Amino acid sequence: MTRRLLVFLGAALACGCGHLATDLVPLDLSGCPTEVGLAQDAFDCGSDSALLSCALGALRQDDRPQLRRTALGSKLCKLLAEREADPSRRERLAAEGVRLAEEALALGAEDEGAVNYFLGANLGMAVRDHAMLAFQNLSRLHETLKKAHEKAPDVDQGGPGRILAMLYLKAPPWPKGIGDVDRALELLEGLVERHPGHPLNHLFYAQALWQAEEDGARAAVDRELGEAGRLIESGRFGSCSEPWRKELGAFAAGLPRTESEKREGE
Amino acid sequence: MKIIFVLLLAGVGSVGVASRAQAAQTILVCYPGGPVDAAEAGNALSSMLRVVERVGQWKSGTFESAFTSRADECRKLLAERKPAFAITSLGLYLELAARHHLVPVVQPRIKGQTAERYRIMVKKGAFADLAALQGKTLGGSVLEETEYLRRIVFAGRIDPSRHFSLKPSRQALRSLRALAKGELDAVLVNQQQYDALGGLPFAKDLEAAFTSEAIPLMGLVADEKATSAGERERLTRALQGMCQDSEGKKLCELFGVESFEPVKPGTFDTARTLWEAGSK
Repeated sequence: MTRRLLVFLGAALACGCGHLATDLVPLDLSGCPTEVGLAQDAFDCGSDSALLSCALGALRQDDRPQLRRTALGSKLCKLLAEREADPSRRERLAAEGVRLAEEALALGAEDEGAVNYFLGANLGMAVRDHAMLAFQNLSRLHETLKKAHEKAPDVDQGGPGRILAMLYLKAPPWPKGIGDVDRALELLEGLVERHPGHPLNHLFYAQALWQAEEDGARAAVDRELGEAGRLIESGRFGSCSEPWRKELGAFAAGLPRTESEKREGE
Repeated sequence: MKIIFVLLLAGVGSVGVASRAQAAQTILVCYPGGPVDAAEAGNALSSMLRVVERVGQWKSGTFESAFTSRADECRKLLAERKPAFAITSLGLYLELAARHHLVPVVQPRIKGQTAERYRIMVKKGAFADLAALQGKTLGGSVLEETEYLRRIVFAGRIDPSRHFSLKPSRQALRSLRALAKGELDAVLVNQQQYDALGGLPFAKDLEAAFTSEAIPLMGLVADEKATSAGERERLTRALQGMCQDSEGKKLCELFGVESFEPVKPGTFDTARTLWEAGSK
């Protein structure tokens, strides 16, 4: 049994909950313009949080089916949730993203990769601190992300494969679960080739390499972490950078010192 | 699977200690070689304890856990903190039982069994027995406690550290794939892993070149001098009720534990005999 199952179990028991959060996060819409453009491509990591809130606020009031069958709502929720420091608000934003994606699917977007991707991304965030809920949704999460990876492998610079890989890395391993470091490595090797410009592809690849090989892959781990750090600090990822910087720092801090680091420390 | 028993047992096991003092009571959990971060394990165990406290109507914070994945740290904690109850691997129990007056209290039952067998899987026809595997690579996720393997799993017939070139892995599936690709000569699997082999695409190409005798599943142990018979019995009853409790039942089902049972007299006699024989 592995660390991941321990964490899953501990979180599950700490939570004791059985459903995604249903109450909406209040949004500060005081500074919003009267008209907010709701084009999906208009929002990304570089988008200001206030603008994202305005867009989500507008979307909450807009019941046009042609809009609500797109991935826009769930994308806005993902972007806001990822940069949200408060766990409760993050969870509720992600849960709203799940509902908006489900609505899009119900309106005919079943085979749209982006909708499935943002559904999976939000679902992952919504359940990650509640392990029993995570267990209950593991199969759905797996299927959703596999579909997203099949239909839209390049959305968000390999987002579906990236999250799918982390699911394989974090889930309980065989024989109790779908956790499979080899599958994670295979996906992430492909992603750093195909989308080398996304820092998380490198960070997650480093994590998979370390889990699989430890010291045997230390040089490759350091190389990937270096590239992830360089991309994070490039200024191209706006408000997304901060949580990624923290994740990279936490992972790097947990690595043992290399021989050269030990010599420098003496 | 072992760590889940460990966690389940850790939670309910604390019940037995709860009434002994006002201060938080420590349950020592040793998981030697396990790929488990102590901080994360501590958080998980604390969560378990809180649930047990709620289910058992004990005050929150009555219990605390101490976790280590290092055998040397386990020895040190047992000596310094002298916990009344602990969860250890079978190997650590056998090593430390005499020094710390440890007696097994409860065992888990899984798929109708309270014992398991270890097997060495090889490609069909490649190696007939242990002798044929001398000097060959042996992978797997259960290779950490080599002394336990030598004395108990191999019953003193071989010293795995010398007999094989050991290639431990965090994930058994990774080792089995390497075996299927010819990158390893053999893989040691426990019962749970063996039972799941049939679901792997290359399972038909594998066979067991060695099967151990039945080895009792390890559960919770008590310091016989630090606990009364009544406390151990109370703990046993609590554990027996675990899989019938609505909350506990979900956990038991989730991890395939059918029940927890009192250790029958003689259950660990053979293991103790083998352990002692191995020290000569």
